[in-house]
Amino acid sequence: MKAGIPKETFPREHRVAASPDTVQKLLKLGITELLVQSGAGDASGFSDEAFKEAGARIVSDAAALFGEADLILKVRPPTTTEIDAMKPGATLIGFFWPAQNKALIERMAARKATVLAMDAVPRITRAQRMDALSAMANIAGYRAVLEAANHFDRFVPGQITAAGRAKPAQVLILGAGVAGLAAIAAARSLGAVVKAFDTRSAVREQVESLGATFIAFDFKEDGEGQGGYAKEMSAAYLAAEQALIAGHAEKSDIVISTALIPGKPAPQLITSGAVVAMPHGSVLVDMAAEQGGNCPLTERDQVVQKYGVTIIGYTDLPSRMARQSSELYATTLYNLTESLFHKEKGYFIDLDDEIHRGALVLKDGAVMWPPPPRPKPPTPAPVAKVEPVKAVEEKKKGIGGRIAGAVVIALLTAAGLAGPPDFVQHLTVFLLACVVGWQVVWNVTPALHTPLMSVTNAISGIILVGGMVVLGSGAGTAANVLAAAAVLLAAINVAGGFLVTQRMLRMFRK
Amino acid sequence: MTIEFLGTLRTLAYLAAGMLFILSLRGLSTQETARRGNLLGTVGMALAVVITALVFVASLGQSTTASVDAGSSTTAIGLLAAALIGGGAIGALLASRVAMTSMPELVAILHSFVGAAAVLVGIATYLQPGAEGHHAAHLVEIYVGILVGAVTFSGSVIAFTKLRGIVGSRPLTLPGRHALNALLVIGAGALAVMFLGAEGTDGLPYLLGMTGIALLLGIHLVMAIGGGDMPVVVSLLNSYSGWAAAAAGFMLSNDLLIVTGALVGSSGAILSTIMCRAMNRSIWNVVFGGFGAAPKAKADGPAAPVGKVNETTDKEVAEQLLAARQVVIVPGYGMAVAQAQHAVKEISSLLIEKGVKVRYAIHPVAGRLPGHMNVLLAEANVSYEIVKEMEEINEDFAHTDVVLVIGANDIVNPSALDDPSSPIYGMPVLEVWKAARVIMLKRSMNAGYAGIDNPLAYRDNTYMLFGDARKSVTNLLTDLRG
Repeated sequence: MKAGIPKETFPREHRVAASPDTVQKLLKLGITELLVQSGAGDASGFSDEAFKEAGARIVSDAAALFGEADLILKVRPPTTTEIDAMKPGATLIGFFWPAQNKALIERMAARKATVLAMDAVPRITRAQRMDALSAMANIAGYRAVLEAANHFDRFVPGQITAAGRAKPAQVLILGAGVAGLAAIAAARSLGAVVKAFDTRSAVREQVESLGATFIAFDFKEDGEGQGGYAKEMSAAYLAAEQALIAGHAEKSDIVISTALIPGKPAPQLITSGAVVAMPHGSVLVDMAAEQGGNCPLTERDQVVQKYGVTIIGYTDLPSRMARQSSELYATTLYNLTESLFHKEKGYFIDLDDEIHRGALVLKDGAVMWPPPPRPKPPTPAPVAKVEPVKAVEEKKKGIGGRIAGAVVIALLTAAGLAGPPDFVQHLTVFLLACVVGWQVVWNVTPALHTPLMSVTNAISGIILVGGMVVLGSGAGTAANVLAAAAVLLAAINVAGGFLVTQRMLRMFRK
Repeated sequence: MTIEFLGTLRTLAYLAAGMLFILSLRGLSTQETARRGNLLGTVGMALAVVITALVFVASLGQSTTASVDAGSSTTAIGLLAAALIGGGAIGALLASRVAMTSMPELVAILHSFVGAAAVLVGIATYLQPGAEGHHAAHLVEIYVGILVGAVTFSGSVIAFTKLRGIVGSRPLTLPGRHALNALLVIGAGALAVMFLGAEGTDGLPYLLGMTGIALLLGIHLVMAIGGGDMPVVVSLLNSYSGWAAAAAGFMLSNDLLIVTGALVGSSGAILSTIMCRAMNRSIWNVVFGGFGAAPKAKADGPAAPVGKVNETTDKEVAEQLLAARQVVIVPGYGMAVAQAQHAVKEISSLLIEKGVKVRYAIHPVAGRLPGHMNVLLAEANVSYEIVKEMEEINEDFAHTDVVLVIGANDIVNPSALDDPSSPIYGMPVLEVWKAARVIMLKRSMNAGYAGIDNPLAYRDNTYMLFGDARKSVTNLLTDLRG
């Protein structure tokens, strides 16, 4: 099987679908030859020589590459020219956006092609290694903060200098998905004061874990959609949301908006009014510009000044860090490809595998998208499972305790009736001491279990006294020797136990 | 000084010693008072020994004039002094030489001494010529005391050899082992009847026969317990050693022995109970369950690794640790075996210096002794403020960037929560997999002490760093410094 990495043709696209690193790894999978189009990695900082060294064959012509490769790895969806140049029956893996690209699906179907869309990989734990969207969103969120800081004409961190005082920038992040969280982290590490808004109250914890303040939105609809995406809301809901955001935007120096709803235009969270109210010199980065923007004033791929606010509408944020995004994208792509190479069966798309099924758009020309709906994200409830076991256990213990108590009382009565008087007296002392021990020891901290054990061990060496009593009672020689041996052993125990406890306790420090 | 006066003094001293012991145990329950607790125990013991020795010398002095000749009393004093000094010296030497990683073995062997002493005292008591012979109740006391002592002795010796690695840690599950136990107990009962029927000291053969049976019983009981359950076994034996001392107190009519034995016995019982609760199992299950190796795993030979693991390198781990905000270190028995605690401590100090929040998470049954990990970390000078118990830290894993699992396996096994077929199902574990990333330092993909495969290794956010724990940790430390 031959694989090919073409040069991306989309305007402002600087990424490439492989790095020299993944080329090496791909060649180990069972791919016999790997073709890389000349100049494919130039914009990401990977030279043809580097790819060649990794084992790839450099092909100068795109058409030749598409005509020869059985497996095409790409970033952006293919153009019609590229599709027409493809070898019939070939496989393509890359971003495909099947919901928006119906025409492309048909055209690919005509070539009997197989398509796996990186953007359709299900967001489940097992598929995290293949989650290209998150990898890119992470970069975009980080870059958005840097772009904003670049256009912001003041310090981001607060400073007190001899020449005067600068307040830290107030940053507002809209949407706490992967991009939003990455933006929070980046803004925090620059020293900004960060607030974040999201309709899903479940993300509060994640926002707060990054050191930002969560802006809660109390409205009766819940925004958590299927598979971890936010879903679209009603008009009244949107109005309330806009009002809340406008109130916060007014006090913000930098606003980064990341709100997206899959397959739908981006929600207009920041009204023109809100922009007017923003402080002069503040910056808005609209990361949803590609889907129409979260602000009506955003201009796609442009930086514009509106009412004293710089509005950045870049749609190529990951490409602005092409080397990093190519490396990460290539790795996710490799991970998905690798999962297609089964240990025994070889190259094989597994329709029962949730990941393969989810990402599959076309199989040998047959339309497979959308995949059958999958169940709601399962909520783990292992803790609840454990509890009944415990309850039963405790019940048993309770009954056991009562039985034991009854047996002890019965034995005591029997002993009192049959035994000599001093035996009963000893028994009383014994039981009282048991109760005292039981009460005294219960609250021991787990850290001290070992010292406690070695101290009790030393104390149980009290049997030493027993040996001495026997020895002192003028018994025969045999008894004397035995008793002396007992004293010897018990003395080892006493000295060893106390000393080792002391040694251990000396080590414990605050 | 008259004997009567000494007798009163002795009673008072015993009372004081008993109270000191109670205060000692109480002191041991918190860090702040633990050292004072140990001191109080030492004082109590010294008091008891000194007063007993005084009475001993005085009574010998008196009996010299009566029946026994001067030579034998000098011999007795010499024997006592030799035993006391010799034993004390050996004990002191052991205590100062033992490595903290060998604490479990030391504790186990010390328990065996108490058991052996109880057996010896019991036999010696029986051999004492009494004018009117032994009362039946007294004979029962001797019999029971020797029985408990012998079980403690042989059980502790086996525990010692298991911990030392002389005997394999896998449980020995003989066919019909419950029947064998029952048989041994019945045998001991039958001998008891014959023993009680014997005149004077004629019952000695029966007594020795029973001692043999009890020794076998102790060996068999502990052999059947798996390595993972060792903390429970050691604390159970701790409890037995207390009961043995109490039994000796009964036979000698000595209240101090009874009180002290009962204290130790119930303390050990509580520790065992705590350990069992930590594993969500009953004490019966531990002692008679023969657990410790999953029967399934045994049938398939060594548990075959299933699934795919991510491997990582020490360089990568070092980068991730430096980039993390919160790190939790989970030490296990593997760290103790590799003696890696000092290097681990260096890592945590270095990270703390760089502003990373580092904490240690200790599972109640980590290691082979209750509180084993705490002792090792204390030895390495880790502040106990950052050493957290399971309940304290389980909530926090979700906010943790990196978890370093060093030589631990069963205590971080997710199948305890989600796989009802797992032999450890229901045991509370450290839920490390909730963290963003888990690094497992392991020697190889072999199953843990309990012989159970650990699905944690196959999780996507788990990365394996293979190799000897000390070597891996040392490399990691070098990378962190570089």
